[in-house]
Amino acid sequence: MMSLLKYEIYRRWKWLVIRYAALITLGVIFYNRTVVAPMQYEIAAASMGKFILVSIVVFVIIIVEGINMLKEDLFEQSGYLTFTIPRSGKSILFSKISLLFLQLTFWTIICFQFGKMFFSKLPLKEISQITSQIDFPFFPSILFIMTAFFNFVLMVHFSITLTKTLLYNKKYSGIISVGIFFLLAYLIEKFYYGPFASQIQHVYIEINNTSDMSMLSAGYTSVFMNVILSVIFFSATAYLLENKINI
Amino acid sequence: MDNILRSRQLSKHFFQKKALEKVDINIEKGKIYGILGPNGGGKSTLLKLAAGLLKPSSGEIWIDEKKPGVYTKSIVSYLPESNYFYKWMRIRDALAFFKDFYRDFDIEKARENLVFMKLDEMEKISSLSKGMLGRLKLTLALSRNAHLFLLDEPLNGIDPVSREKIIASILNAFNKKSTIVICSHLIYYIEKLLDYIFFLSEGQIILQGNAEELRNKKTMSIDQLYQEVFQS
Repeated sequence: MMSLLKYEIYRRWKWLVIRYAALITLGVIFYNRTVVAPMQYEIAAASMGKFILVSIVVFVIIIVEGINMLKEDLFEQSGYLTFTIPRSGKSILFSKISLLFLQLTFWTIICFQFGKMFFSKLPLKEISQITSQIDFPFFPSILFIMTAFFNFVLMVHFSITLTKTLLYNKKYSGIISVGIFFLLAYLIEKFYYGPFASQIQHVYIEINNTSDMSMLSAGYTSVFMNVILSVIFFSATAYLLENKINI
Repeated sequence: MDNILRSRQLSKHFFQKKALEKVDINIEKGKIYGILGPNGGGKSTLLKLAAGLLKPSSGEIWIDEKKPGVYTKSIVSYLPESNYFYKWMRIRDALAFFKDFYRDFDIEKARENLVFMKLDEMEKISSLSKGMLGRLKLTLALSRNAHLFLLDEPLNGIDPVSREKIIASILNAFNKKSTIVICSHLIYYIEKLLDYIFFLSEGQIILQGNAEELRNKKTMSIDQLYQEVFQS
């Protein structure tokens, strides 16, 4: 597995370096603007906003690349190299997902550190007033967002894999797989997250329970539900790659 | 004799096109086989099925009595027709890649073959000519101590001097423990290597037999026989 991960990194190391170097460099530049203009909160807020924008762009690039990692091997000739090595579909997919995980972790660490630095330049009194008014379970929310994006990437991987496996001989396999992606998204929303969300709403309305504990438990339950979905999509995609591939 | 590859009623369809139709073949260990036929006859499809890159529409294929999978990929050395290397690779990266993933890859043998093929380890693969690329692919494929070599059009796009080198490499890699299957329509060059041939046309085997016996029986070379069969 480590060899596979090593080559996934080799394949794109220049872009990885450029991406994170750009994020850190721009972060430092924007932060320096707040240092040279202390107590000028408009400048601090503007700099922070620009950094958030840059970090969102990098995040989108990471997600798109996470999708392309498998797409390249399925649709380009490099797949002949990847899919003739004696490794299981599970290992091949896991190496790609591991790189995505590493990238998102690295991105989160960088953004979190810069976030803390920028916050230190904002008016502390107002900030603490705002944060005290927001009842927001920060950690489970971050986990939820991360796992939701993993789900998204794995769902796309699953749909892409369908075009080269079960839908291989279908005339409109590309369009059908896109359709399946949206259908799955709809079904998951309606029958998986939907009942859970309405249950939570019901608890809040009926019992009027908005304690930190209930928010936290709802947050972690959502994360758990995401993880289950990720495992399902990962297993299904790995199975298809292993047993049904046609490239 | 033990079979290293066999198929029963093996078919592969792409939409309405029948690339292979109910093909039965037995490939014994320790021989060199030629799968010969015009372009679009189903040769590459057959090799891809054996390499595990395609799944049969119907019928079955076994390598060393196992269906294509992780194990068979560890004993099969497949040389595709296309340039399958990652774009960033230099020749030395390709060597390292093969060493990392194939236990039977002999890197010393590969380096010797590179010298023989006049290739430099530091060269970028994307800058290689078609002939050099063909020589590199063959160097890597033949530097494994695999049980089964599947060579898809190893001479395509290769100049006559390089063809001789490639044929010498194939002969050098062959031993009684290994089996080589060569798909080609350039019969003249590979004829002398072959123990057994299959003529494949429109997805079906139309003629097969021991190469020497066919030559004696038809009193013509395999190349001439090929011309006769496919021109008629």
